[in-house]
Amino acid sequence: MSEPESIVFVVDDDPSVRRAIKRLIGCVGLQVELFGSAQEFLASKVPNVPSCLVLDIRLPGISGLNLQHQLAKANIQIPIIFITAHGDIPMTVRAMKAGALEFLTKPFRDQDLLDAIQLALERDRSRRRQEAELAALRERFELLSPREREIVAMVVSGMLNKQIAAQIGTAENTVKVHRSRAMEKMQANSLADLVKMIQRLQVSPSKSP
Amino acid sequence: MISANGALSCSYDYGEVTRSVLIAIVASYAALDVAGRVTAGKGRARLGWLGAGATAMGIGIWEMHFKGMLAFHLPVPVEYHWPTILAALWVAILASAIALYLASRPKMGWAEALCGGVIMGAGIVGLHYIGMAAMRLPAIARYSPLLVTCSILLAILFSLIALLMAFDLREETRWTVPRRLGSAIVMGVAVSGMHYTGMAAASFIPASPPNLSHTVSISAVGNNAIAIVTLIVLVAAMVTASVDRRASAVVERINQDLEQDLTRVTRVVAMGELVAAIAHEVNQPLTAIVTNGNFCLRRLDGATANADELRAAITEIVNDGTRASAVISRIRGLLMKGAARRTELDINQIIQDVTILLPNELTRNRVSLRTELASDLPRVHGDSVQLQQVLINLIMNAIEATRTSTDGKREILIRSAKNPDGVLVQVQDSGPGIEPELANRIFEPFFTTKAKGIGMGLSISHSIIESHGGRLWTTPSSNGALFEFTLPTDAAGVS
Repeated sequence: MSEPESIVFVVDDDPSVRRAIKRLIGCVGLQVELFGSAQEFLASKVPNVPSCLVLDIRLPGISGLNLQHQLAKANIQIPIIFITAHGDIPMTVRAMKAGALEFLTKPFRDQDLLDAIQLALERDRSRRRQEAELAALRERFELLSPREREIVAMVVSGMLNKQIAAQIGTAENTVKVHRSRAMEKMQANSLADLVKMIQRLQVSPSKSP
Repeated sequence: MISANGALSCSYDYGEVTRSVLIAIVASYAALDVAGRVTAGKGRARLGWLGAGATAMGIGIWEMHFKGMLAFHLPVPVEYHWPTILAALWVAILASAIALYLASRPKMGWAEALCGGVIMGAGIVGLHYIGMAAMRLPAIARYSPLLVTCSILLAILFSLIALLMAFDLREETRWTVPRRLGSAIVMGVAVSGMHYTGMAAASFIPASPPNLSHTVSISAVGNNAIAIVTLIVLVAAMVTASVDRRASAVVERINQDLEQDLTRVTRVVAMGELVAAIAHEVNQPLTAIVTNGNFCLRRLDGATANADELRAAITEIVNDGTRASAVISRIRGLLMKGAARRTELDINQIIQDVTILLPNELTRNRVSLRTELASDLPRVHGDSVQLQQVLINLIMNAIEATRTSTDGKREILIRSAKNPDGVLVQVQDSGPGIEPELANRIFEPFFTTKAKGIGMGLSISHSIIESHGGRLWTTPSSNGALFEFTLPTDAAGVS
């Protein structure tokens, strides 16, 4: 099976607008999937590839803004580009505050939409990359033994081997061995590297080490 | 000193007479002025004006009489029994109150005017002769029956004229002040005429000195002081009336401004909604056109053009262009208010035309609209634009009604059917329905239950359907509101 490199989802209730957008995006070689309503989009299976959502504000049933809210609640982080036939300022503010990437008024300039899509895909790609890195880092951290984690935490806080040995009541050499094994497992080349890694794990929203 | 018939000879101080007439005129003017305020006032304000006005007017008339009596000189000393004078004042105030009350009522028929004239005239006659009875002098008054009758008739006539004038002049119009002044002069002269006729009716025969208990003799200073106090009271009444009139004019203007603002806001809101609807309906096809056009340009520029692909995009451009222009011509059709153009038409077509215009409103309010249209309907004779207006009005009302629907169901059903009269169209919604006590009033102009409504929609719809020879009504229904209208078929030929 060949997963596409990236994909653009378009949700608009007007079929002819949908088709036109698909043609335009197809022009720059991107894969497009069309939906007539928010419900249809929610019911579909979204492949796990860099993607973005081109979303009409005014939709039958669940509105575009409502869909944005639901996706955020479900922690689905897909960049959203809103398009609307008549947007007012409060609507725009609401959408942008809720994290929309762009807000285009119909009829929009083709380049504006394509630029926004490129930017959105780029964002999604980098977010996915970071997430993958973080996941790998976490996996590596899981490999550490409890003692190694304890020592890493002290190292990162700036304690010397001697101090660590005194605190946990062991020989300095033992600390050194644990420490170098932990560095190896974490694939850290230097102490600075290790500090950065642990920091990233600590600020990441999911479970802290 | 003593004339042929044994009566005391008497003379008038003409300066005093003139002053008494002037006071009568001022009192009349004040009365007319206050009558306007009593009319304009409501509740307590009205009662207050009636009381204050009657007091001022009564004092004015009383003082006129009193001054008239002081202008009358007899060769014997005259004193006045003051409790009787006060009684005369009360009678004057009472008569004034009745007059003001009558003149400020919404309507005054001949019977009321006549009755009022008699009561008021009796009051003035009473005031006059009670005033005369207060005189204490060494003489006996004799009255000439003819002149007394004359004075009574004059009093009634004067009162009648005064009532009619006050009634006529109570509304504030352009020439109010000069007209009031003219009327006040007529009234003032008339009341003085009555008084001096009454005075002329009396002759005084010398007799033994009177009982002088409870009497006062009025000095020249006292005489003037009473006149000045009276004038002050009258002027105060007029000034207050004028201030009150201005204040209420300002309040009225503010109210009018507010009302105009409200109408303007409502209109702007309605226009804004219409413009937004047009913008949305037209922007959709335009977006597709622009996007498809851009696609074609990119393909052509990139020299990777594929004829089939381009043809598909251009076909859509043409279709969307047609769609946009159809939206615009429908809206223009809706807004054009020319003379009614009656043609033979299919009511189902009109229902469909209208529903094409509304998806936007329906979507926004999450209302689903169903139609059940009978296929074998006879054609009706009518103006399609006006009939569209009626349907849009009924549907927009239905949309608003479903917004308050309690069970969350938001449905509108439009049905068309054959009917003995011609065709029948029903618009039913799933809203809370119409309260039975309001059902009779909803077609009245300016009757509305909406916060922003102006109460014209159903009233206009009603007259449009009636001008087509049909009927528009509402039927009690277990499920929301049901509006129905009939239109006669072509064969029935009513239009």
